[in-house]
Amino acid sequence: MIMDVTQYLEIFLDETKEHLQTLSDQFMILEQEPDNADTINEIFRSAHTLKGMAGTMGYKRMQNLTHDMENVFSEVRNNTIKVDGAMVDLLFQCLDALEEYTDNIANSSDEGDNDNEHLIKALNDYLEGKGAQASEQAAAPEPENAAEAETDEAAAGDKDDKAKWNQIKLEDTEQTVLAEAVSQGKKVYGVTVYVQESCILKAARAFLVFKAIEELGEIIVSNPTTQDIEDEKFDFDFSMIVITDSDGEDVKKAVLGVSEIEAAYVGAMEIEAAGKAAAAEEAKETQASGAHVPAAAEAAAKGGAAKGAGTDKKAVGKPIGNRTVRVDIEKLDVLMNLVSELIIAKNSLVSASMQEGMETGGAFNEQIEYLESVTTNLHESVMKVRMVPIENVVQKFPKMIRDLSKQLNKKISLKMSGEETELDRTVVDEIGDPLMHLLRNSADHGLETPDVRAQRGKPEEGTVFLNAYQDGNTVVIEVGDDGNGIDVEAVKQKAIEREIITAEQAENMDDKDAVNLLFLPSFSTAKKVTDISGRGVGLDVVKSKIESLSGEVDVKTKLGEGSTFTIRLPLTLAIIQALMVEIGGEKYAISLGSIQTIEDVKQSEVKLVENKEVMNLRGNVIPLIRMNQVLSIESTKEPDENLLVIIVKKGDKLAGLVVDELMGQQEIVIKSLGKYINKSKIISGATILGDGEVALILDTNALI
Amino acid sequence: MEEIMDLQQEEFDQVQYIVIRYGKEVFGIDIKYVDNIVRMQRITRVPNVASHIRGVLNLRGEVIPVISLRIKMGLEPDEITKMTRIIIIKLESGDSIGVLVDEVLEVIMLNASQIEKVGYNSKESVASFLSGVGKDEERDRLISLLDINATFGEKEAGAAL
Repeated sequence: MIMDVTQYLEIFLDETKEHLQTLSDQFMILEQEPDNADTINEIFRSAHTLKGMAGTMGYKRMQNLTHDMENVFSEVRNNTIKVDGAMVDLLFQCLDALEEYTDNIANSSDEGDNDNEHLIKALNDYLEGKGAQASEQAAAPEPENAAEAETDEAAAGDKDDKAKWNQIKLEDTEQTVLAEAVSQGKKVYGVTVYVQESCILKAARAFLVFKAIEELGEIIVSNPTTQDIEDEKFDFDFSMIVITDSDGEDVKKAVLGVSEIEAAYVGAMEIEAAGKAAAAEEAKETQASGAHVPAAAEAAAKGGAAKGAGTDKKAVGKPIGNRTVRVDIEKLDVLMNLVSELIIAKNSLVSASMQEGMETGGAFNEQIEYLESVTTNLHESVMKVRMVPIENVVQKFPKMIRDLSKQLNKKISLKMSGEETELDRTVVDEIGDPLMHLLRNSADHGLETPDVRAQRGKPEEGTVFLNAYQDGNTVVIEVGDDGNGIDVEAVKQKAIEREIITAEQAENMDDKDAVNLLFLPSFSTAKKVTDISGRGVGLDVVKSKIESLSGEVDVKTKLGEGSTFTIRLPLTLAIIQALMVEIGGEKYAISLGSIQTIEDVKQSEVKLVENKEVMNLRGNVIPLIRMNQVLSIESTKEPDENLLVIIVKKGDKLAGLVVDELMGQQEIVIKSLGKYINKSKIISGATILGDGEVALILDTNALI
Repeated sequence: MEEIMDLQQEEFDQVQYIVIRYGKEVFGIDIKYVDNIVRMQRITRVPNVASHIRGVLNLRGEVIPVISLRIKMGLEPDEITKMTRIIIIKLESGDSIGVLVDEVLEVIMLNASQIEKVGYNSKESVASFLSGVGKDEERDRLISLLDINATFGEKEAGAAL
C-alpha cells in the first residue's frame, strides 16, 4: 500500500464490526431459512463490502477470505448452490476467522499471519460442487454444474437483476389503472435507473429523472417510494412503472439525459388480466429479448469486469435510517464534564444568592431559577446522548448460544427482549462480560442434558432468556433458564467442604442466604470444570463488576424449574438527584433513588431485637442504622430527641438510617474519590457543593 | 519538543527539589511530581480510612485526597498554622494527591554528586520513604529527599488500610 490508511483504521474497525455483526445475524437467519433471498443478498453485500474495505486497507488475508465467501454467495444467489447446515457451520467458522483478523488489527494494526487455508479450501470446495454439499445432496444433484452456471445463468441473472422494476409489486388499483391505459392504446414501461456511485446528491438526480419522465408520461408507482427517494433512502438504483405515449427508447434517452446516471433499463410491461405473476413473467421475457439491447451494448462497453455479479451491488446493505452522527465518546465525556462544571457553578450561584439574602431582587431569583431549569435540561439531554441501547452488547449472544449449544450438545434457544433498553455508554461497555458469563452459566450449569430434560417431562430444547427493561431510575436485566435450578443443599455441602461455612451455619441458613454463597470468591459448583464456565472465576466476578457499576445482582431459583439472575443498574453514573443530610456536623449525600420515605421516630418506638435496634414501620420491622456510629462521629442530637430516620431500600430489603439533620434535595455531580481511598466501602464517591466544600456520598447498598 | 529534550539533557545531572519542612527537619520533593502548592483549605474527613488520610479537598472541581506525611512517617500529628501548605502531587498512575507540609521553604538545584543514596537496610521508618540525602553546602544542611513512588505509589495505596 502506498497510500497511508492508518487514519482510516478506526472507521475501518467500526464498520468492519458492524458488517461482521450483520453477517452473524444473517447467518442465524440463514440457518433457519436457507432460502431467504433477502438474507442471501444481505450476506453477499456485507461480504463484498468487507472485501473492498479489507483490500483498501491492505489486509490481504482478510480480503481473500471474504472474497471466497462472496463467491460462494454469488452462486447461492444464483441458486446454483444450496445452503445447508454444514455450510452455515463453515460460514460461522469464517466469521470467527474474520473476527480474529479484526481483533488482531485492532490490537496491532496487523491482521496476523493465519491464512485460514482450510476455510478457503472448504469454500472453494463448495464452488466446485464438491465437499459436504456433494455428499449431502447426492440424491438430488444440481441440474447444472457451477462452472456452467457462472457463464450462463450468472450473466442472464445479472441482467434480470438489473432491471429491478420486475420486482415491483402492483396493487390492485394500480393494475386497473395500467389495464385501462393499455386499453387506451398507451404503453406501459418498467424503468430501472442506476445512479453513479460517486454521485453525492442522489436525491436531486432522482428528482431530475422523475421530472424528465413526467414530461413524457405518468409515473404510476416507484420503488422505493417517492418519499424515500426524496429522503435519499435508496442505494444507487430505483425503479418505476410508467404510462406513456412515447416509446421505450425515448424514455431511456430522457433518463440518460440527466447527468451522473450510470445506466437505465427500460422494458415494456405487458398487462394482462391474468394477474400479477403472469404479468411479471411476461415482462421479464420482453425485457430480456427486445428492449434490453442498448443496455447490453453498454454492458459490453464496460468490459468483462463489469459483468461480475458484484459490480452493481456495491450499495450498503441497510437503508439509510435515522440521520445520525458518529461522535467520539471522549468528546461526549468532555461535554459531560463541562455540564458537570456548569451545575457546580450553578449550585455556587444559588448558595451565594441565598447568603446575600435580601439584597437580591425578584428578577435575580427568577433568572437563577431559569438557569436551574436550563442546566437540568442540558444535563438530561447530554445524558440522553450518552445513552445507548444494550443491543450493542447483547446482539453477539445469539451466536454465542448457538456455539455453546454445539459444544455442550444441548438444544438451547435464546429468548431476548428489551434489547432497545438504554443505559449510559460507560455502563453498557462494562456490562457485556457479566451478562455473557451469566448466560454461559445458565447454558452450562443451568440447563440439563436433553435426555434428562426428556425424563423430567420438559421440552428437549432448553430456554435461556435475557430480559431488559427500565424500572424507574434503574434498568433491570434478567438472565435465566428453565433448567435445573440451583440445588441449595449441594451449594451448602460445597460451602462446608470449602470451609466457607460450618455445618451448623448451614443448618440455620435459609435458602436465599445459601444461594448467595454462590457469589463468594472462588465458589464454583460445577461438578467438572468445562471450558465454558466453572473456572473458579465466576459469579463473584460478575457481582463485583456489577457493584463497581453501582448496581446489584440477585438470584431467584427453584429446584427443577430454573433460576433467574436479576441485575439492577442505575441509569446514570455521573449526575444524580440526592438528599443532603447532616451527621455529626458533616454533610453527606444520599441518592434519592434509594430513598423510600423519611420518618420522625420517637425514642420509645425503637425496640431491640437480638441486641440490634429496629423500628416498626407500618407493620414492617426495619433495622435501624445509627449513621454517626457507622461514620465514627459524635451525633449533634440529644439522646432523648426524636430520631430522624431515612428509610432506604435495596431490592426488597429496607433499612432506616438515623441522621441528625435534613438539608434538602440537590442535583449533585458524582466525583470519584480516586484510587487512593477506594477502600472506604460505605462511601461511593464525593460531590462538590455550591460553596466549594466536598461532601461524601453514602453508599446505602453497602450499608444494608 | 527538541528544545525540551535539550533542556532535559543539560539538566540531566541537576534535579530541582522543592524544600519543605516538618518540624526542624527539611525534606525535598522532586519538582517534576509537583503539580501545585495551595494554602490550607477546608478538608472533608473521610470516615473509616487509614489515619494518615486526612480527607479530601476540592481543587478546581477535582476531589483530591489529602495525606498527612507526618502521621505516615510516625511523627507528631500536623499542627495547622499560617505556614501550612498542601503540595499537590501528580503520581505516575495519573492520580493526584495532596500532602500536608508545615512550610514550603524554597526550590533548590542538586547535582548528582550532591546526592547520597540511603541504604535500604536502614531500620528507621522515615528512611524507607527516602530516595537519598542531598547535601546543601551553601546553607550547610542535609535535605532528606522523598521517594515519591515508594511513599505514595500503587503498592502503598493498597496497604493504606
